Amino acid sequence: MKHGFIRSRFTRRQFLKRAARQTGLTGLGGVLALAASRAACANPGDEPNPFAYDLGRLQRTDPKLVHYELQNRIRAPRAEPRRLALGPGPAIYVAAGNYISVLDSAGAVTSEIALAAPARCLSVTPAGILYAGLRDHIEVFDARGQRQAAWEAPAKRTWFTGLAVTDKEVFAADAGNRVVLRYDRSGKILGRIGEKNKERNVPGFIVPSPFFDLKAHQDGLLRVVNPGRHRVEAYTREGDFEFAWGKPSAAIEGFCGCCNPVSLALMADGRFVTCEKGLPRVKVYSAQGEFESVVAGVEAFSENAKACAANDPSDCTKGGLDAAVDADGRVYVLDLVAGDVRVMVRKASRQG
Amino acid sequence: MEPAAPNSPPVSRRQFLRQGSRAAALTGFGALFGVLAQRTSARTTVWQIDPAKCLRCGRCATECVLQQSAVKCVHSFAMCGYCQLCTGYFVPEPNDLNTAAENQLCPTAAIKRSYVEDPYYEYTIDENLCIGCAKCVEGCNRFGNGSLHLQVRHDQCVNCNECSIARVCAGDAFRRVPTDQPYLLKTKGHGE
Repeated sequence: MKHGFIRSRFTRRQFLKRAARQTGLTGLGGVLALAASRAACANPGDEPNPFAYDLGRLQRTDPKLVHYELQNRIRAPRAEPRRLALGPGPAIYVAAGNYISVLDSAGAVTSEIALAAPARCLSVTPAGILYAGLRDHIEVFDARGQRQAAWEAPAKRTWFTGLAVTDKEVFAADAGNRVVLRYDRSGKILGRIGEKNKERNVPGFIVPSPFFDLKAHQDGLLRVVNPGRHRVEAYTREGDFEFAWGKPSAAIEGFCGCCNPVSLALMADGRFVTCEKGLPRVKVYSAQGEFESVVAGVEAFSENAKACAANDPSDCTKGGLDAAVDADGRVYVLDLVAGDVRVMVRKASRQG
Repeated sequence: MEPAAPNSPPVSRRQFLRQGSRAAALTGFGALFGVLAQRTSARTTVWQIDPAKCLRCGRCATECVLQQSAVKCVHSFAMCGYCQLCTGYFVPEPNDLNTAAENQLCPTAAIKRSYVEDPYYEYTIDENLCIGCAKCVEGCNRFGNGSLHLQVRHDQCVNCNECSIARVCAGDAFRRVPTDQPYLLKTKGHGE
């Protein structure tokens, strides 16, 4: 009876036909599902990072704050540019690789000095005498590029990163020992500045990475970057701490990251130009240290910003900027990553 | 001594069976040895991340077959600046430089900040909390020396034949390394 009921509903042929159809449909569904899942996995790089480090608005500069514009862009003559200085003329001195190249205002190389190791800081006197800090010693060149002297390494861990020359003295920032050395012009050490000393109220330099710059201000005081404290400190030649300005902040008026600014330049009227890494930006501060304007924001240094950001395996010790200012107020910015010198002039609308 | 009969077989049935079973036993032993040798060879290498290639893409946290990733942040103290404002620890715009939750970058609060002396602080990773998301690594690399980096922890990694993170690693940073040197730690000094 039961068999008869089944036979009455499905013939063997119908049963086989339906089974084949259903198997086909199931198989097709499976193939489609597999294809969909493969497509989803095909480009995993397209999926957004749920843990992205978001700097968001900090990477945009308010255009109203940018008071400078690009006048000229000069390609660094050699790979791995590190530092920039201006000499009489103005001649543009660029330390890159194991060379110091001297460029004219159009960017043409007029002379070159070969070194045994990369120069990590430069300073040029009005007479054209060039002081170059190599990692552990200082070399002196005359105006024709002839080496006049090499001052021996003052300490075991010396790592020179900043130089400032006055009429009678040379000040050298030693990042390895977190101290500024005061030399006479013959290379004799006259004193040490900035070592932590509670009795003299000297806070001590915090230098997490080899960015430690200084300048000799027109007011007779030294200005030394204390990057770990995010400020610029003023010292007498004898090493007395006078005052400091600057604050840690990713906002435009402060110094961002763990350790900034990375370099310092002086304007003829005593104002300061600062350079930062991480969020690469160049800014102008008054002689008293109040934020005034932006020379170039993060947008101007896209390659530099990428150098230590996601999608680049390097860290921020590979980035950085350096700056110098000529007598006419033009700001020369060396981009260590892009390998060029930007000549920035004050916008016509901002002049006077 | 009687000479062998000229038409007798060179190997008797008993000898044949004896030699056959010996040969079979030797073959089986060889096969077993081969399998074991192969397994041992597969265990002589393990997965590791090359920090020089890591792009901090976040997939180590999401793609590991384990519920909590075997990839952890490790800290190269020799490279660390012991910064007061550590960009691997603090969000880009902290309210204050303290340990309040809203100021911490790590989504699981896996980094411990402890005072050393003014103005230095030490940062250590609690691996029980770390999920290997690389957010701190990105912060440290973005502004600092890059002392924080990711490594596969071999006390947790199950050493899959095909690592599911390696399959999608954006920087192709995963590679097999010898078990006797299972870590690729950053040791390079500042700016070197």
